Amino acid sequence: MNTVRILGIGSPSGDDQVGWLTVDALLAAEVLSTGIDIQKLDRPGATLVTLLDDAAWVILIDAMQSHDAIGRIRRFGADDWPAYQHGLSSHGFGVLDALALARELGSLPRRLDLYGIEIGSANPGEPASKEIQAAALQLALQIAADLTVMARCRPEC
Amino acid sequence: MTEQKRTVSIHVPVLTRVEGEGALDLRIDNGEIIELRLRIFEPPRYFEKFLEGRHYTEIPDMVARICGICPVAYQVTAAQALEKLFGVELDPWARDMRRVFYCGEWIQSHSLHIHLLAAPDFFGCNSAIELARIAPDEVRRGLRIQALGNELMELFGARSVHPVGLRVGGFHGAPALPKIREIRDKLRAALPEAEALIRWAASIAVPQDDQDFISVAMQHPTDYAIETGAIGVSDGLRIEADAFDAHFAERHEPHSTALFCTYQQQPYLVGPLARLNLNHARLPERIKALLAETGLVLPSRNLFHSLVARAVEILLALHEALRLLDGYRLPDSPSVPVITRAGIAYGCTEAPRGLLWHRYEMDAAGCVVNARIVPPTSQNQGRIEEDLRLSLLNFGLDQPDDALRLHCEQVIRNYDPCISCATHFLRMRVERT
Repeated sequence: MNTVRILGIGSPSGDDQVGWLTVDALLAAEVLSTGIDIQKLDRPGATLVTLLDDAAWVILIDAMQSHDAIGRIRRFGADDWPAYQHGLSSHGFGVLDALALARELGSLPRRLDLYGIEIGSANPGEPASKEIQAAALQLALQIAADLTVMARCRPEC
Repeated sequence: MTEQKRTVSIHVPVLTRVEGEGALDLRIDNGEIIELRLRIFEPPRYFEKFLEGRHYTEIPDMVARICGICPVAYQVTAAQALEKLFGVELDPWARDMRRVFYCGEWIQSHSLHIHLLAAPDFFGCNSAIELARIAPDEVRRGLRIQALGNELMELFGARSVHPVGLRVGGFHGAPALPKIREIRDKLRAALPEAEALIRWAASIAVPQDDQDFISVAMQHPTDYAIETGAIGVSDGLRIEADAFDAHFAERHEPHSTALFCTYQQQPYLVGPLARLNLNHARLPERIKALLAETGLVLPSRNLFHSLVARAVEILLALHEALRLLDGYRLPDSPSVPVITRAGIAYGCTEAPRGLLWHRYEMDAAGCVVNARIVPPTSQNQGRIEEDLRLSLLNFGLDQPDDALRLHCEQVIRNYDPCISCATHFLRMRVERT
């Protein structure tokens, strides 16, 4: 139950790839220690719940649309993730629903960091915009820094 | 005692979701149903036009986009139709793995519907999140089963949403043996969970709602039909896919952009309960014994048994996937060559929600001249309206508005018309005059 899991959520549609791009940037930076489970998820719906209950710390990266500046990164902690209300859901059961269900089932990890990145268009087949690619890189560096802090203070943390 | 008559108008606003848009208009005047209309706007209509001019190699990937929940059904049906026209004989490996791929979709779609959409109704809950408070172990089990279905789809499709692994002539690739061994272990471990799911589903109290209806499902001489077989009707008719138009007709209704499909001018049922009604003799003996334990009598005339039917089909799909993967071997090639020819291609398979029929007119270069797709939801549309009318009469029109609304929603959800439609049906306005 000490697993750290990083989940990049997205779809192959323009800026909606941002979760995957963040994962790519993390992998490219080669800063991840062994034992960290990292996955790209394609619109997981309720199955996201099954990826939460056997990890100590889960980092979720998803796209959001709230009329903010494209590329803006917002972080929602375990107590305020219900404020994440602008995530994208293609099938009526999005990340917030999955988190609410996980909370009801007692399946939330001890630490949950939910990152929402403001996106523009999500057209199928289009590449992500430059702003989104830059935001993904920036977030990857931020997550890498968090992981480094965590690694330094183990096992006391 | 004087019975108080009332007029009730229940309107569900039009929903504009990709997975299917639905609306319900119900008007009860002086104890009689004056108006009952289900309006569903089906996205597949647009796809038929998009397909024109497209090369056959593009079709599986395009039709997968019709539905986010059952893309495999669309892919397999299209491929089956085109392979028949082109005279392609699939390698036995590809034929078996198509069924396994399809089993993954049945598992995930049925588990999603049971636990996230249908079951909460029977426990007085508004959502799966509320259901999780009173039945956490069952919801957890459902999510595990759904995830396993997704995993099986990913194995052959590279991803579970709009998979890309299938091609006309077979698959683009074959999963490696270690992956197969891993999934076999998971499938085997899920068998007792699926058996427990059937017992749980059968124990849920459902309304007694006896109705006379026609069941339509594919039938196969030896197997429980999923991806191959002929079209069977509960009155004994059995036809091949190319005879569909001689017996079934689509028509427009003014209140819906979706086509209503009828069999001899009558509504009919497709989907899990229709399949179980027609094909229960083809279930493996272990599942038959389990069904007998539950006391479910088949054929069933109660649409509320659809929940159990889905649970039964989850176990069947697990059994089938295991059976076919037990003798897994890597093929020499995951696909066979395809030579195009002009003509009409017909195909049909059993999507999780019911019979799915495709027709393509192809030119000699292998491009689509025109396409027609009849999805399960439009076939069930007339039956849903008929069911609502009969079920409401059985239920009692003098019930409170909220109870009427909930009952209508439950009836509609039995058919699993689509996820967005079913989950957002709660947006209703009730007016009294």
